[in-house]
Amino acid sequence: MRFLAVPDARRTSPRDESSGPRLLAAEREGGLIAGLRARDERALVELVELVTPWLLAVAEAMLTDRDEAEEIVQETFTIAWRRIDLFDAASGRLVPWLLRITRNRAIDRLRARRRQVEKLRRLEAHGALGTGSVAALEPDESAAPGWHVHTAVHHALAALPPEQREAVQLAYFEGLTHSEIAGRLGVPLGTVKTRLRLAFDKLRAGLASIRDWVV
Amino acid sequence: MNPHAWFVEQRAAFVARALAPDEERAYHEHLADCAGCREAVEQLERDLAWLPMGLPPAAPRPGLNQRLVAGALGARRGAPRWWVPAALAASLVLAAGAWFWALATTRAFETQLAGERARLAEELAMVRDTLGIIRGAAMVRHASIAMDGRQGGLLIFADERTHRWNVVVYGLPAPPAGETCQFWFITESGMVRSVAVPSDGRTPAFLTLPMPPNARHVMGAALTMEPAGSSGGAPAGVQLAHLML
Repeated sequence: MRFLAVPDARRTSPRDESSGPRLLAAEREGGLIAGLRARDERALVELVELVTPWLLAVAEAMLTDRDEAEEIVQETFTIAWRRIDLFDAASGRLVPWLLRITRNRAIDRLRARRRQVEKLRRLEAHGALGTGSVAALEPDESAAPGWHVHTAVHHALAALPPEQREAVQLAYFEGLTHSEIAGRLGVPLGTVKTRLRLAFDKLRAGLASIRDWVV
Repeated sequence: MNPHAWFVEQRAAFVARALAPDEERAYHEHLADCAGCREAVEQLERDLAWLPMGLPPAAPRPGLNQRLVAGALGARRGAPRWWVPAALAASLVLAAGAWFWALATTRAFETQLAGERARLAEELAMVRDTLGIIRGAAMVRHASIAMDGRQGGLLIFADERTHRWNVVVYGLPAPPAGETCQFWFITESGMVRSVAVPSDGRTPAFLTLPMPPNARHVMGAALTMEPAGSSGGAPAGVQLAHLML
């Protein structure tokens, strides 16, 4: 699976996540939020440059269609610009809020357009999972803002047993339901539910250290 | 498994949106009534907030970021803004002002045009009337006038149908200071003062005169040089010409 590809040394260049960059990022996020609320277009430009690669990755992983993925990302930024008042800083961070919007929109589109069957057929035709068309940032994607978060999540996912990792991949990153995952993997529905529940319990623990991070 | 236990067990699936659509709807309804599950789900969402970033970032296609910014701003520009109604109102005021200005200008022009048309119509009527008198004149009389070395004359077209005369005085010098050129009707009851003849010494004077009221038979006309301002019933100045019909 894509997110479990063994990172090379360049991509996982060590960095101190607990000091300087984190504080700087927190200030940056606060500035972005204030800018958006003040209708400062420069804040929107900065936000787009900062998080588009991550939103695009989520949307494209689910929709397996670059054009549709870009539409979803556009919808996300439109919401961020027009409805920043919906964002509650007390309940979370700005980037996760945008990620959630993107993901929910992508799932809604998947379901609304009844593409699940087509997608499964396409996956069947291509054989193994993880051969999607997402173009990863190269060659120096480790310089991308948020790369340290990606690395931490990557490690948390890599720590899951393969069958649980697979269930998370299909459910969380490709937008399949329990039933669809069961059908895809040929396992009982209860097994899928159990795998997901166990996987998320472990991920909660694995991601606890970065819960309050900012990009 | 009791119903609530199912919701507890499906919290992660709900956050992952792995529930079937009908299960998801049921879960939403449950959250509206169950503060415990609601708080637990919110906590789970916070814990897994960064999970989507487990995917490697995707490189935007060239120009995408600019399009995204423009798209978001375009959506904003499409939304109502405070200056939009103000600008619209200003535009309407300007448009109304322009309309009223144009209307007023048009009306003034129309008024001017109507006046001009009326003046021209009046002049045309006068010309037609004058020509009608000349063409229909039963009698035409002329008298030569010699004055200060210049040769002029008095010409009368008498229209019996309308009882009007066309009188032309031409070739006379301008009256001396304190005097005016006076036209008279000669009637059976005597001389009847008519009008002072405008004369600038250069152009002829054209007059259309009705017959004097209460006058008995008009027999002729005379032209005299009278003291300015005189109004007596009989000529007192020098006679320039007289004509008998």
